[in-house]
Amino acid sequence: MRKRVLSIMIMGLILVPFLFSAVAAKTLKIGSMSPLTGPYASDGTDIKNGARAAIEVFEEAGGMPGYDKIEFFPQDTACDPRQAVAAANKLINLEVVGVIGAYCSSSTIPSSETLDEEDVIMITPASTNEKVTDRGLPYMFRMCGRDDDQAPAAAKFLKESLGAKTIFIVDDKTTYSQGLADGVKKASIALGMEVVAHEHVNQGDKDFSAILTMAKRANADVFYMSLQGYSPAAMMTLQAKRLGMDSQIVTQDAVFQPKYMDVAKEASQGVYLTYGFTDQTTPQYKAFEERYVPKYGKIAAYATYAYDAATALLYAIKAAGSTDPEKVKAELMKLDFQGVAKKIKFNAKGDSGSSYIAYKVVGDKFVPYWEPVNGLIK
Amino acid sequence: MRLLPWHKPHLLVRPNNLKLRKLNTMEYFIQQLINGLTLGGMYALIALGYTMVYGVIQLINFAHGEFFAAGGYVGAIALAYFAGIGYMDSHPVICLTASFMIAMAYCAYLAVGVEKIAYKPLRKNSRLAALLSALGMSIFLSNGMMLTQGVYDKVYPGELFQGRFDFGMVTISYLQIMIVSLTACLLVGLNLLVFKTKIGMAMRATAQDKTMSALVAIGSNKIISLTFAIGAGLAAAAGIMYGLYYGSVKYDMGFVPGIKAFAAAVLGGIGNITGAMIGGLIIGMVEIFGAGYISGEYKDVFAFIILIGVLYFKPNGIMGENIDDTRV
Repeated sequence: MRKRVLSIMIMGLILVPFLFSAVAAKTLKIGSMSPLTGPYASDGTDIKNGARAAIEVFEEAGGMPGYDKIEFFPQDTACDPRQAVAAANKLINLEVVGVIGAYCSSSTIPSSETLDEEDVIMITPASTNEKVTDRGLPYMFRMCGRDDDQAPAAAKFLKESLGAKTIFIVDDKTTYSQGLADGVKKASIALGMEVVAHEHVNQGDKDFSAILTMAKRANADVFYMSLQGYSPAAMMTLQAKRLGMDSQIVTQDAVFQPKYMDVAKEASQGVYLTYGFTDQTTPQYKAFEERYVPKYGKIAAYATYAYDAATALLYAIKAAGSTDPEKVKAELMKLDFQGVAKKIKFNAKGDSGSSYIAYKVVGDKFVPYWEPVNGLIK
Repeated sequence: MRLLPWHKPHLLVRPNNLKLRKLNTMEYFIQQLINGLTLGGMYALIALGYTMVYGVIQLINFAHGEFFAAGGYVGAIALAYFAGIGYMDSHPVICLTASFMIAMAYCAYLAVGVEKIAYKPLRKNSRLAALLSALGMSIFLSNGMMLTQGVYDKVYPGELFQGRFDFGMVTISYLQIMIVSLTACLLVGLNLLVFKTKIGMAMRATAQDKTMSALVAIGSNKIISLTFAIGAGLAAAAGIMYGLYYGSVKYDMGFVPGIKAFAAAVLGGIGNITGAMIGGLIIGMVEIFGAGYISGEYKDVFAFIILIGVLYFKPNGIMGENIDDTRV
């Protein structure tokens, strides 16, 4: 008995320095959730890198008053709702003050409910499905646009700029891709275009020859491709070209990643896609480019949004002078500044506005091509 | 009123001849048939490895899909190297052949190593232990590729062998011809190896009875290693063809084709070489025709319905699994 007491005392003595160091070094914990493995690992890695870059910049600019450092916990969701909820629980246990993520709308929706139970702020840089912010969760924010804005913009582009009469739609049955495809279908019919077919492929498919042969037979004016992630989209584009399908390919925001052109090569040239407008001439964007590109490579779809999301969160915590979610939320709502991707100003729902325009793939760049109000961009 | 640019839609420039003609029913069928043969050929090459290994040591080698992915990666690296030193433009056929050799040799070596590390120590244990070890190896190799090669797609260089023949509206690419003919050649070659050579005889003997074959001076360890090497080499060949055909490879590409090829091997009668070929072609065809004529979202469902249906009526697969003469 005595021995046991003694050993416990010794253990206690050993632990004491750790306790002190834990108290002395006060860290602010920020989490991120995105797919770091599985088919969307590349897009998820962009989000992680974007958020990490924001934290680095913030720390170099003086860091958070009252904290010695900011610790970043990137979690893997694998675009799987169950794993996303597990990641959310893990972040809650780590006592993070805010989460940047997730990527797939189908992961963001269930995991945000888990985070909401513990009042953890979540800012998604990439989930565009309208349900993300339509459920009235108090601490759910969104940095990117909404699909119910993207779909009408895309349909308008097909009609007014491309003069399309018939459309062939393909999606891969995720919350995001199917929601958007349904939206485009509805908007296109409303604008008087004919949807000749709405087909589906499976997530993780690599061979699209059957569907593309079907599209070749249908020979619609536009082949609208709503896939989760750039990788399947690039494979589908390349296969379509090799099969001799001549419909104009139009796609969406998930494809906004320069790797798309690497994989689809010449087949990518002249493809249109809708994506939120980012002014690439602002000093904020230039500064981000200088910092991000040498370390992480070309800027892709969600890196800028993840950067802005993390920056907004850190600014709000700093302004609130506390990590109390209610106070941080109040500060988030007050934010109004030019970020890297867009102007940041949240509305009552937690959205920060959509600004979808059409881009055209020219060489290895996405060139702004058309916008809904004034038409072609010069 | 000022005429805004978008008031005159003019951007859809489409070739006139295509506007006039669409694929007719026959052409559509033939095009889908070609698509199915290509996909089925690739499944068949992977399925051969499953079936050979099962034939010899009754192990379902779940890491086999990873050999396929590794082959695709090695091929991409070798081809990029040849393109870098400028040999690709002058000697494309030699470069491609060399890449095939390198990838097949590498994967054969990898498979022998995997067998020595993960399966051989468990040979005396229950089959379940080796099966779990195979699953673990699959995850290990897949994540290893992710960590060493990155999460982004690796692109195959250039537009190598990307020409195509057009018969009316039907398109056949050189690669599709190459995949189907190479698959056929490998099947004939493999059958000759197994049934006409001494090594083949040794393999069949090992498959029937390891102890007995050891008594007649057949080194069963050597034969098992050889089986793994041949199977992985075929998977590597499929990996390169996959990379050329689809334009890029990714670390997770082995999983789904691996499962499909496993299904193909079971469908044909696991342990049976010709059965694996036939199974691969059937799975590929059913998938493509299911997607092309019914709906794309159910194509995997159709493939597995066929599998369940065949196994229900013929539990040993189409060609049967226990005919001793045809088993590896």
